[in-house]
Amino acid sequence: MKFIKDMLENLNRVSQKNKLLGMFRPVLNAADEFFFGTDKLTRLPHILDYMDMKRFMSLVVIALAPAAAAAVYFWGLRVIAMILVSYAAGGLAEVAFAITRKKEIHEGFLVTGLIFPLILPPTVPLWIVAVGAIFGVVFGKEVFGGTGRNIFNPAIVGRIFLSIAFPKIMTVYWQGPFTGGLGGFAHFQNIDAITSATPLGVFKSHGELASYMGLLFGQNAGCVGETFRVGLIAGGLFLVFTRIVDWRIPFAYLTTVFVSTLAFNHLFHLKLAPPIFQLLSGGLLFGAFFMATDPVTSPFTKQGRWIAGILLGVLTVLIRGISGYVEGVMFSILLVNVFAPLIDTLVLNVRYQKKVK
Amino acid sequence: MLKPFRGFRGGYKFINYDGPAAPVIVEDDIPSRVMIPLRQGFGQDVKPLVKKGDVVAAGQIIARDDHTVSSPVHSSVNGIVEDIKRMNYFKRVVAMVVICSQDPSKEIARIPGYSAEWGKLSNEEIEKLIYLSGVSSLDREGIPTRFKSSIIPPEDVKHLIIHGVGSEPYNISLELLLEGRRLLNFFEGVKILKRITPKSHVHLAVNGHSRRIIEQLVKLSSNMEWLDIYPLEPKYPQGYDEMLVPTILNQKFPYGYSAANIGVVILNIQAVLGVYEAVTEGKPFIERIVALCGPSMKEHVHVKARVGTALGDILSKRLDTSKPSRVVLNSLLTGVNLNDLTLPIDRTFSQIVAIPENKDREFLSFTRPGAGRDSYTRTFLAKFLPGAKKRPDTNQHGEERPCVSCAFCEDVCPVRIIPHLLSKYVKRGIIDETLMNYDIFNCIECGLCSFVCPVKIPLLAHLKEGHEKLMQQGCDRTQCILPYFDLKGIEEYRGVTKL
Repeated sequence: MKFIKDMLENLNRVSQKNKLLGMFRPVLNAADEFFFGTDKLTRLPHILDYMDMKRFMSLVVIALAPAAAAAVYFWGLRVIAMILVSYAAGGLAEVAFAITRKKEIHEGFLVTGLIFPLILPPTVPLWIVAVGAIFGVVFGKEVFGGTGRNIFNPAIVGRIFLSIAFPKIMTVYWQGPFTGGLGGFAHFQNIDAITSATPLGVFKSHGELASYMGLLFGQNAGCVGETFRVGLIAGGLFLVFTRIVDWRIPFAYLTTVFVSTLAFNHLFHLKLAPPIFQLLSGGLLFGAFFMATDPVTSPFTKQGRWIAGILLGVLTVLIRGISGYVEGVMFSILLVNVFAPLIDTLVLNVRYQKKVK
Repeated sequence: MLKPFRGFRGGYKFINYDGPAAPVIVEDDIPSRVMIPLRQGFGQDVKPLVKKGDVVAAGQIIARDDHTVSSPVHSSVNGIVEDIKRMNYFKRVVAMVVICSQDPSKEIARIPGYSAEWGKLSNEEIEKLIYLSGVSSLDREGIPTRFKSSIIPPEDVKHLIIHGVGSEPYNISLELLLEGRRLLNFFEGVKILKRITPKSHVHLAVNGHSRRIIEQLVKLSSNMEWLDIYPLEPKYPQGYDEMLVPTILNQKFPYGYSAANIGVVILNIQAVLGVYEAVTEGKPFIERIVALCGPSMKEHVHVKARVGTALGDILSKRLDTSKPSRVVLNSLLTGVNLNDLTLPIDRTFSQIVAIPENKDREFLSFTRPGAGRDSYTRTFLAKFLPGAKKRPDTNQHGEERPCVSCAFCEDVCPVRIIPHLLSKYVKRGIIDETLMNYDIFNCIECGLCSFVCPVKIPLLAHLKEGHEKLMQQGCDRTQCILPYFDLKGIEEYRGVTKL
């Protein structure tokens, strides 16, 4: 602790003298704020909640930890490399913007940098991870003015950019998880040798359903973080319980998917998979708990959150069932992000209608 | 009649804060010098009747004004008037009478005309006793009498709410105020108030967790059909008039105006005890029970102190001075700072809270388990350990960041406005009817939005700023209130909104 304090103080002194190093003040400040709490005092009210953004974001990271750890087990060190590359590349983009804007660096990237590699297929080359992370941070967040002002979830922007720019890499090569023994740690080299398909892809082309237990415990191919669904459910419920995320969006989203597929599965059983399979396949759980609930890009009114959840559910089922894509969750979250301000405005207009006599 | 347990939407329960005041009353010696503000609680400044050098007795009226809405002010010690000066007292300039005490005895001059059998007194005599004792200036509406002590005459009172909910982080002890004999006195006080406001229905609102007190109240009130007892959830800000009226009466509150506008008078328990003592014992209201609480207080007790005693006299032995601390009046969320210990206490004090000033930068503070940390989110251990004492301090606990629209502020807002939205408008300088449309004037400035904000935006300050700027532009809250309430003569009906 003392050591870090001294180091930061020394660096601060150097950066005050050196003009070139002075540009990196935001990085130093961010490190300083990361390690040490604030010395600011309250005015009115005299006491403030102990919660802050750093704890907020680190709890989301903790909630993602089971899924991320399982991914490391399934696909080995490669996943760790992907996470590191994502943090490094996205972090650099963030720092570049902070330096040019002379503003401090915000904690939001702690979560985006972890979510982004978790929604990529395990076989993607590392340079693609870097490209996607940079694109996501720059065009998903920074061009709108940084944290709190972005319209889209940065991780989704990066991911969709990659699936449109590199469709073959992003959709064709899937690597099933390695289970038993050392798991993925034994297979770093020959990872892109095998090609399998995700359960949703299999259903679309052959109409076959994967086993539910296998889906729950991550026995199928899929994006890095989305396959270990027990961990995702536990993490999601943890976030809901701690009030970090609002329960309305995941609840409305998952219920809508379940109910609408329950209703229409009999009519279009070749196109629409049965409800439980829908819930347990693809990135639905991941998206519902960790991406659709991002407070910045989802509506802030309670009624708006219900509407957004229902809209997400309908769009996901439609895209999965009718379109040629299988990434229903991703596209529907992106679309609903666009509608979030409109939903809020409508809700506010209804709520604040004055009934003057 | 006992009504079912109830609460309201929003709000936040501050429970188990470290260092609540123990239910013990300590009586201090008579101070050597008192300063008595000539404006205490509800009403206008009153004119002094004494001048420099006069000899006064404890309980003697030293200032009154029968032409304005006000109540008399008494000397609280036997002594000599040393000076009458105007000085700054909690953000307003008030005349102060400085009295040098000559006599350490605790005798108090009685008001003539009192009777232990108050049933034999006429209404006018009772009202006169209440008015002359000064108790009629308590709380936001005052106690209505025919002597202009409140803004409404007694016969217009439709509802009388008496509350002891205790929703603040630190509260004066309900058990102490309603202990033994005092409970019976309290009931007599309620009956006296009912007698002078014949058309009123009396509502007793108490903390729903004090089972024993509720049982006793129910037993005592068995044959009074004009009285209802409401166990309320002790959720902040339930003790505010703006929250008591909707939860108890299911009625809209004219935000920004006194509840007297809709025929409601709201009193606390000490006021009712004061009424009893005034009518049956002829005692002027010159003593106040004040709770001393908070981690920076060495002795957590209730002090019975004379009005006008300097804070220093009360706190000097009891405040922990080894570390810097912040002393706050009544509420940790909205109370004024009491760090000037030369100022005196007045009739409106009910608790003095001292918490440590914490300027320390804590290493990796966001990773702490937090067994003593209070938070709206369920992310600290203190929420799960039933006996955990929460230790408040004045650190900001985090850096200010842009709003992430988490909507915690909207969830806790008791009047259901959206603080983060309004704050964004105010910060960007968009001050127009949109703010009014989004009900900015409903804000009761309870400070909960600022408290819960995880990005530490001073939402309360932004709301106040927007409010003031709107007023400068000529937008008045009457424009929001008038369509819903029939307020005759708003100017004269405007009560004290903040004490």
